[in-house]
Amino acid sequence: MIGADITMKFPLNSNKGISTLAVIISLLVIVLLFLMPNYVKSTYILHIMILIFINIVMGSSWNILGGYTGQYSVGHSAYFGMGAYTTLILMQFRQIPPWYGVWAGMLAALVTALIIGSICFRLRGPYFVLASIAVAEIFRVSALILKDITNVFEGTLTTEIPPLTINGTVITDFSSKVPFYYTGLVFVLIVILATWLIQHSKLGYFFQAIREDQDAAHSLGISMTLYKNTALGISAILTSLSGSLYALYVGFIDPTTVLSLELSVSIVLICIIGGIGTIFGPIIGALVLVPLSEALRSNMIGQSLISSGLVSAESKFGNFLTENLSHAHVLIYGILVVVVILFMPDGVLGFFKALSAKKRKETA
Amino acid sequence: MNIFIQSLISGILIGGVYALIGIGLTIIFGVMRVINFAHGDLLMLGMYGTYYLFTLFNIDPFVSIVFTIPLMFLYGGFLQKFFINRVLGSLPQNQILLTIGMGLIMSNVVMLAFTSDYKILSTTYSSSSVSILGISISSPLVISFAITAAITAALYWFLLKTDTGQAIRATAQDREAAQLMGINVKRMSIIAFGLGSALAGTAGALISPTYYIFPQVGSIFTLKAFVITVLGGMGSIVGATLGGILIGVAESIGGVYFGSGWKEVVVFVLFLLVLLFKPAGLMGKSNT
Amino acid sequence: MKRIAAAVMVFSLALPGAALAAKVKIGFVNSITGPEAPIGENLTNGVILALEDLKKKGIEVDLVKEDDTGKPEKSMAAFEKMATRDNVAGVVGPYTSATANAVAKLAEKYKTPLLIPVASKDEITRQNLKWTFRLSATTYDYATILIDMATSLGKPKTMAIINENTDFGTSGAKSAKAYAAKRGITVVAEESYAKGSPDYRGTLSKIKSKNPDLVFMVSYVADAILLMRQSREIGITPQAFLGAGAGFATVAFAKEKDISSNVFSSTQWTGDVNWPGAKDFDKRYRAKFGKEPTYHAATAYESMMIMAETAAKNGGDREKTRAALKSGHWDGIMGEVKFLDYEGYTNQNKHQMLVEQIQNGVHETVYPTKYVSKKPVYPFPGWKK
Repeated sequence: MIGADITMKFPLNSNKGISTLAVIISLLVIVLLFLMPNYVKSTYILHIMILIFINIVMGSSWNILGGYTGQYSVGHSAYFGMGAYTTLILMQFRQIPPWYGVWAGMLAALVTALIIGSICFRLRGPYFVLASIAVAEIFRVSALILKDITNVFEGTLTTEIPPLTINGTVITDFSSKVPFYYTGLVFVLIVILATWLIQHSKLGYFFQAIREDQDAAHSLGISMTLYKNTALGISAILTSLSGSLYALYVGFIDPTTVLSLELSVSIVLICIIGGIGTIFGPIIGALVLVPLSEALRSNMIGQSLISSGLVSAESKFGNFLTENLSHAHVLIYGILVVVVILFMPDGVLGFFKALSAKKRKETA
Repeated sequence: MNIFIQSLISGILIGGVYALIGIGLTIIFGVMRVINFAHGDLLMLGMYGTYYLFTLFNIDPFVSIVFTIPLMFLYGGFLQKFFINRVLGSLPQNQILLTIGMGLIMSNVVMLAFTSDYKILSTTYSSSSVSILGISISSPLVISFAITAAITAALYWFLLKTDTGQAIRATAQDREAAQLMGINVKRMSIIAFGLGSALAGTAGALISPTYYIFPQVGSIFTLKAFVITVLGGMGSIVGATLGGILIGVAESIGGVYFGSGWKEVVVFVLFLLVLLFKPAGLMGKSNT
Repeated sequence: MKRIAAAVMVFSLALPGAALAAKVKIGFVNSITGPEAPIGENLTNGVILALEDLKKKGIEVDLVKEDDTGKPEKSMAAFEKMATRDNVAGVVGPYTSATANAVAKLAEKYKTPLLIPVASKDEITRQNLKWTFRLSATTYDYATILIDMATSLGKPKTMAIINENTDFGTSGAKSAKAYAAKRGITVVAEESYAKGSPDYRGTLSKIKSKNPDLVFMVSYVADAILLMRQSREIGITPQAFLGAGAGFATVAFAKEKDISSNVFSSTQWTGDVNWPGAKDFDKRYRAKFGKEPTYHAATAYESMMIMAETAAKNGGDREKTRAALKSGHWDGIMGEVKFLDYEGYTNQNKHQMLVEQIQNGVHETVYPTKYVSKKPVYPFPGWKK
């Protein structure tokens, strides 16, 4: 029977069951997150949390295709952009509220994914990577050129989002950040649930088989086309969710922000830093990247170094810090990528797992 | 008809520079199977080097390649020895990400050091041209085409006639066999990356009198370089040469007949078609 | 008693500073770094000079400066911070059309007056926004003045348009096309390009083959230089090269004498125009910063002056400031300024555009005639070999 053959060749490497402690802690964290806006009023912290949520969704959705199925797409911005543009266009021009528009976005992303898959999945490894980049670039350049059309769709006032009413009572009119916070949190939960379900299902099993050894899996009867495209489809749909949320929250999109190679690279980065192919990897990745990037942009690091006395504000180094550190954030990204690939290719999670495995070996 | 010939010729001339970039990338891939995403940034470093040699020491860009070549060669070797070497056995995806990271570091360090202001290198001949039969041919581009041809010829001689060159080709053909034959493949990798970097830097130097210089200029050329090498066949120098010229022409003619904005799309679509129907490229061998 | 009161009154009138000493918090968002940084620098410098002059008038400006690196999301984040955390009375900036458009919507949301100095995309002030004001003329005006000038100097019948596909470029091209139609000029070629291409020769030879009387271009600096270099190579010789501001108005472009000579550029301001204080501003700027000010500097200066004075007069109250901006009227280095609603525009100043021509590596004002310092050279005399 196929299943047995496969299990012999590809032992499942997912955890047999998470410890009850982990479950309790996770539930606790979720409850706290839901309660947070009641106690934390700072719009700035809410803003950072929303960005973290969007990044987690971005990373986790990519994870399904890249981490579990081993197909490294560096063109995921295409799906992000599709979600963003579709939702915004429908809202501005057909006055379709985003809670319906989001579905249209997901559909658009799915269709895009199937088209892209049919082109790119014939290729393997590095060629697949290149093809995914090329396709995303075609999208971006086309959007730029068709600016006459897309230009009008560039942005929207959040006051243009119709108020959410259920049975006549207004739940929110989107004037504060709180509704975006909760939406983000819900999306995160959806994505994590999806990842967990996949990891513990036969589907995920086949995905990982493809990742480990594509030819062997194929010879055992696993359909490459079916499963690769399924992974891509799921990944694309979830990525478009993050795109739609981003568009509605920030209120401004253009091809350079939502369809760029830089975005695709950061999506991959989130996963790699945390640890690919794990549920918590993207979460850790987002938790590292978002605050770091924000701290750099707003010059927090420079300021705190100075105010803590480590660096004098007058010194050349101090001046250099205040002037330049905020623009160094992409530089830090680059350094992070290099360091992670060279020293922590399995990401932060993998790094710590290996460390604890070593420790266990030593004490044994 | 005139427009067609005009765009054909300017496409060929600029294709020469593209070819140089492609050849560098293809050597790196051929010998190490590494897809170097930082290739365009190496070109960018060549441009900045040329710019400063010109503005500070008044050295003509075409003359300054005498400095650019060895400097970039050493730099490339350094990068290979300390960074790329460590991931030669890893997943190709990791290699790609590493080079992406290195590229980001290079372009952002330059941005911090020299600001993102666009720099223009203006020589007396930056906009001169000769007119032949009503077609205007850019003088600086002709010179760079000639230099490219000379360098390509020299490269060929090196690879075919010298011991080191042949060792490199052996490593590219079959790394393990070459090692068994006593070739120091690690050293070959270093030389290959050095060569690739030198070629990229030189391309940067050659194009600097007619283009503009800024830290992120690399990414445009990296993507083009990939299209060229895939088109020509990864690892084939002749292929990269042809690929470069073909892309130059496709861009130029595509720009005229589809509108300037669609140029890049033409190139990418061509790329996808090649990847789909002949992934080994025009001259490539089919060992992925 | 009356005499003492009168003396006190006279005394206090004689001390203008003392009576008006006011403190006001103004936000300034700009492209300090990023690809538009060189032009952004002009805005920063203009504001610096404005702060000096405001101080002399007894107005202390607490300036909250933010860098948007040219990206709309960043300018939005900066504006939000200024409007909520810093509690500014008003905001001046940003520079580019894309960032300004994004921020204009936020001004409405946070009910904070926004004065845009120089972003020219038409649509920004065509959205019925009550809190956004624009000092500079729109891209439509960039186009119209060039075409008006050309038709006053000759009889052009055809025009080719080549533009960068950014907000500014696309907007400029649209305006040029529309206005050309109004003046009976046929547009024979329209090429929109994505910046970053090293080679425009094919496109330019296509344009050359159509033999346009006018070549209308919208580009930022680097492409402007490339386009003109290659135009020279290809040998395009229209009656005039019309550059809609941006790249063509910069000193960097003018310096490339081989290719910049006799190119026209529409501009919001020049150093030798006879608006009150303009020439002085030019002198002071050169003395302090060692280079020529562009129109960006002048618009930023005047915007800061207007915003700070108005806010100070109204005690930093946002609604009062907005109302005062709407009803006010100024006459400074940018000439007469009044924010009007007309032809679908809201809070738009009907600014008088000017045309310069680069002669011998220097920008000279050549149109409209009442502001002229030099006569224009028309038609294009051809390329020097």
